[in-house]
Amino acid sequence: MAVASPAQSTPAPKRYSLEGGLPPVAGKVLFVALAVFAVLLPLLLDPISSLLSDCIIALAFVIMALGLNVVVGFAGLLDLGYVAFFAIGAYAVGWFASGFFVDANVYVGVSGFVLNLPGIHTNFLIVLLAAMILCAIGGILIGLPTLRLRGDYIAIVTLAFGEIIRVFAVNGDQIALPFGDANLTAGRQGITPVDQIQLPFLPQFTQLDLRPWYWLVLALVFVTLFVVIRLRDSRLGRAWIAIREDEVAAASMGVPLVKTKLYAYAVGAAIGGVSGAFQASYLNTVNADQFAFSFSIFVLAMIILGGLGSVWGVVFGAVLLSFINSYLIPDVLRTVPKSLGLEFELTDLGFGIFGFLLLIVMVLRPEGLLPEKRRQIELTEGVGTGESTFEVRA
Amino acid sequence: MATTDAPPLPSAAAPARNIFAELLSKYGLFAVLLALPVFYGIKDLRDQGDLSPLATNIFQGLSNGSIWALIAVGYTLVYGIIELINFAHGENFMIGSFVSAGLWGTLGLTLATGPLGLVLGLLLTLIVAMVTCGSLNVMIEKVAYRPLRSAPKLAPLITAVGFSFILQNVGLLWLGGSPAGVPDLLRAQDEVATIIGIRVQRADILAILVTIPLVIAMVTFINKSRLGKAMRATAQDPDAARLQGINVDTTISLTFLIGGMLAGAAGLIYALYQTTIWFFQGFQAGLIAFTAAVMGGIGNLKGAVLGGLIIGVIQQISDSRIGSEWTPAIVFGYLVLVMVFRPQGLIGEETREAG
Amino acid sequence: MFIRSKAALAFAIPALVTGLAACGDDGDTAAKSTPNAPAAGGGQATGEVNVYSSLPLQGASKDQTNAMVDGIKLALEQADSKAGGVTVKYESLDDSTAQAGTWDPNQVASNARKVAQDRKAVAYIGEFNSGASALSIPILNQVGIAQISPANTAVGLTTNEPGSEKGEPQKYQPTGKKTYSRIVPRDTIQGAALVTQMKSDGCTKVGVANDKEVYGAGLARLIEIKAKEQNLTITSNAGIQKDAANFRGVASKLKSEGADCFVFAGVTANGGIQIYKDVAAALPDAKLYGPDGVCESGFTNPEKKGIPESVGKRFKCTVATLDLTSYPGGQQFLKAFSEAYDEDNPDPYAIYGYEAMRLVLDTIEAAGQAGTTREGFLAQLFKTKDRDSVLGTYSIDENGDTTLTDYGLYTVGPDGDPKYESTIKAAS
Repeated sequence: MAVASPAQSTPAPKRYSLEGGLPPVAGKVLFVALAVFAVLLPLLLDPISSLLSDCIIALAFVIMALGLNVVVGFAGLLDLGYVAFFAIGAYAVGWFASGFFVDANVYVGVSGFVLNLPGIHTNFLIVLLAAMILCAIGGILIGLPTLRLRGDYIAIVTLAFGEIIRVFAVNGDQIALPFGDANLTAGRQGITPVDQIQLPFLPQFTQLDLRPWYWLVLALVFVTLFVVIRLRDSRLGRAWIAIREDEVAAASMGVPLVKTKLYAYAVGAAIGGVSGAFQASYLNTVNADQFAFSFSIFVLAMIILGGLGSVWGVVFGAVLLSFINSYLIPDVLRTVPKSLGLEFELTDLGFGIFGFLLLIVMVLRPEGLLPEKRRQIELTEGVGTGESTFEVRA
Repeated sequence: MATTDAPPLPSAAAPARNIFAELLSKYGLFAVLLALPVFYGIKDLRDQGDLSPLATNIFQGLSNGSIWALIAVGYTLVYGIIELINFAHGENFMIGSFVSAGLWGTLGLTLATGPLGLVLGLLLTLIVAMVTCGSLNVMIEKVAYRPLRSAPKLAPLITAVGFSFILQNVGLLWLGGSPAGVPDLLRAQDEVATIIGIRVQRADILAILVTIPLVIAMVTFINKSRLGKAMRATAQDPDAARLQGINVDTTISLTFLIGGMLAGAAGLIYALYQTTIWFFQGFQAGLIAFTAAVMGGIGNLKGAVLGGLIIGVIQQISDSRIGSEWTPAIVFGYLVLVMVFRPQGLIGEETREAG
Repeated sequence: MFIRSKAALAFAIPALVTGLAACGDDGDTAAKSTPNAPAAGGGQATGEVNVYSSLPLQGASKDQTNAMVDGIKLALEQADSKAGGVTVKYESLDDSTAQAGTWDPNQVASNARKVAQDRKAVAYIGEFNSGASALSIPILNQVGIAQISPANTAVGLTTNEPGSEKGEPQKYQPTGKKTYSRIVPRDTIQGAALVTQMKSDGCTKVGVANDKEVYGAGLARLIEIKAKEQNLTITSNAGIQKDAANFRGVASKLKSEGADCFVFAGVTANGGIQIYKDVAAALPDAKLYGPDGVCESGFTNPEKKGIPESVGKRFKCTVATLDLTSYPGGQQFLKAFSEAYDEDNPDPYAIYGYEAMRLVLDTIEAAGQAGTTREGFLAQLFKTKDRDSVLGTYSIDENGDTTLTDYGLYTVGPDGDPKYESTIKAAS
């Protein structure tokens, strides 16, 4: 939760956002301070503590959420099947960096222990690239049938693709591939273990020291942030936002709808693939059970809760929800009833608490925790209540 | 996919392609919908010389699908009026099943209860389930959706998810994590008759007998009554409706009440029909109902019914021919195809969204 | 600076772990000096050890896992939290999350790492799901903590027999040493037991369905293998979509295949009740069989929301537990369980949980002072021989498997609960 504290320490009035409400210099200082803190954080924690593991997962979700935000937040295409790219990214690791294809003995850019194992073993950087390419293609394929659709029809078609991919992940163990003794996936049995990440000039990562994992995923977050912010401020980014605001008007102003939308799907998917590949390596498994519809909803909740379209809001939302799910409910709240002398297990209420928190936060801050500046203006205009002073300020 | 470039501005330059595209969009859909039944029909004829296995699949599919239809109607009603994907609807339906089964216990309805007691008891259960789910739905709207009416469009989606988690937890605490068998009050799988090789079971009769009148009543209500007209007006344009003196808040509450009541009725029928209930049934049903509503054309009642029935049939055919584990993929594959051929759904109307 | 410190740390940490292991080595030498550890009981062993369980406490399997935790706690309470002179502390960890509603890889790995970090930890009871164990085994293996699963039956976790995948089980053991054991027989045994029983009941064509989980799919595969060996026809093996509303389509397919017996390889929570109802209705004369995943009162007893009596009459199932009332240990357990939890007919998973903890306690006691170290405990665990338990008499073989091969055949008794019928000697 440490990451959340800076936001609390700036008790901005209700409708100020990190981007909009603070003077540029203060924003930069805050960002640098946060970044330094994030880099140094693992030194304060035990190298194999659960908390550090939760941080790693939270950062992986940040990447996921940033990717989904490109599709939903920037381009306004409601995607309920984002889990598909988690799956494709993860299977890139399962296929190209594990012992899954037992009859193959392919080694690319790896050394040490894995050279003794059967299967295809490829360096993580190459796998990452493969995951991005596969996901971008997947994103475009899923995007194509939605091009003529609007609004919630897009939602159901993406949801459908997410479910189709899940079903293929679950039943892929029955689909024999045309070469060797190989299937498409390992179904619910899961591909376990997968290769631990090897990077040039660094020792191999292990499950017993989480700090390298943390710094790697943090670096990926920084790269993703850079890419996403640059894209948002580019010509393409403006085209996305134009489509989101009014598709017909955008088209008549010369924005190429097909290309622009497909770019959004491809970029969002590729970013999801990065996170998927990282998570598969870190979690050491590619299991069909991971790719449920609820995962898509979980990531969507992060970006809406954080503030749709707002990069910092999305980062914050992802960290917050991820910690609620993997730390607050299972680790912190679990001991509460006992310490109050009550005889019941809070784990029975896990679902409910999670749902209640979503509900409460959304009702209290409908525009998200750190809303996008542009959206904020729209909102205050739309509502037309006494809060219009903020229009001037923002 | 070049044709999809811009809002429909058919270019006069390619008439030949247009005719082809028109043919495809007109008949392609039928071809897609009929592909599975025709394929397996031919296969049955070749292998066994009669169509009764396929007919059985279709009949059971329609009977299963009528429950989906009932849930989908509630889904599409709510969508039509506030354009919200109400993820909590499926959970509401689940609560309907749980309330019904709980009430049987309280009323002492068992396999030994006589026909008169059974009918009276079930009628009472139906009323209680409908009232409970209806008021629950109204409450959900008040707590989770109304405060967000002027919020960004996706915010209520998250409160809907939040509520569905809460209701799932209620179900989990109520009956535990495993599916729970409930008394098979109607002896649902007893055979009533065999018509041209189709085994008709009591469950099928129940599903069809309850669903059809309920749906007809609902459609009549919405098309004919004052309140129904107010609902349609609000769905088309809330602001204009308000100017016409329609109380929009009341109308929305009413819509949720009706949607919830249908979910409650579906809950009871589901419990009688399947005789197994569990906390996760609503999630699955909600997903299917959502699919059915979209397939039929979201916001369109008849479309939702049609979508539900079609999905029921696809599921049965897939379950018995292809394999139950592939069924969701087949259903969703169908949905994608329908969307490709008819982006507005099978009998879609122009909603605010699509218009 | 960022890179350098990262590299430095990466080197430092394995050193730390080795250090931990080195501490343990001292204990090991102590154990070696007293070859038959129980003899060391003269000088009462003292100290304190920690035991953990890691199970999915949220979502659909919570009933079984709660039963398991009840069993574990009961065993500990009976022993007054003591194993010989050693104080045993127990903590129940959750390997599921609210969002997933089932086991979650991050939680599993976190739990395993948490235990790996605890210097006093000697034993880890878990996981419930075989897929999850595949994740925690390698982590615990690297630090030499003994793992006892009360529920995993997937063949490949311990052996490379048919039914396993290539590379199993070696790929789970980075150190090459065995640290994983289980007290439930692997699927091979139960598959053979079910086939033997069906054959002796006169089945000719058996329809199989499975729930696509690791347990169900694996068991179904082994039923197919064993049926082939014993010349029994399997008409089809269908994976089902566990959350489907009903399985009438599956049942009508079985009917068209002319099956005269049916077995569902899966657990109650994955559509077990519904599929038996639908198959029973479509095939009114077929005999119905089930594995231990459905051999529990929550499935068989209509009062407890199980299958109706009419289906129950046609149903038989197999469990590794034999007749609890027939021997003293079993009677004691039943009495204690009903006193503690007011439940006369414990869930089989409660029994497995109970036995897992009893095994831990007895192993610590038998190892004496060495039982307070990871190495000493692990060595003693794999020495388990002819142990009398609530599950019957068994040993732990060199793979970490239990040697139990007898399966109890159960029918549905007049009270609706599973009733012990006879013992099946599986023809393997």
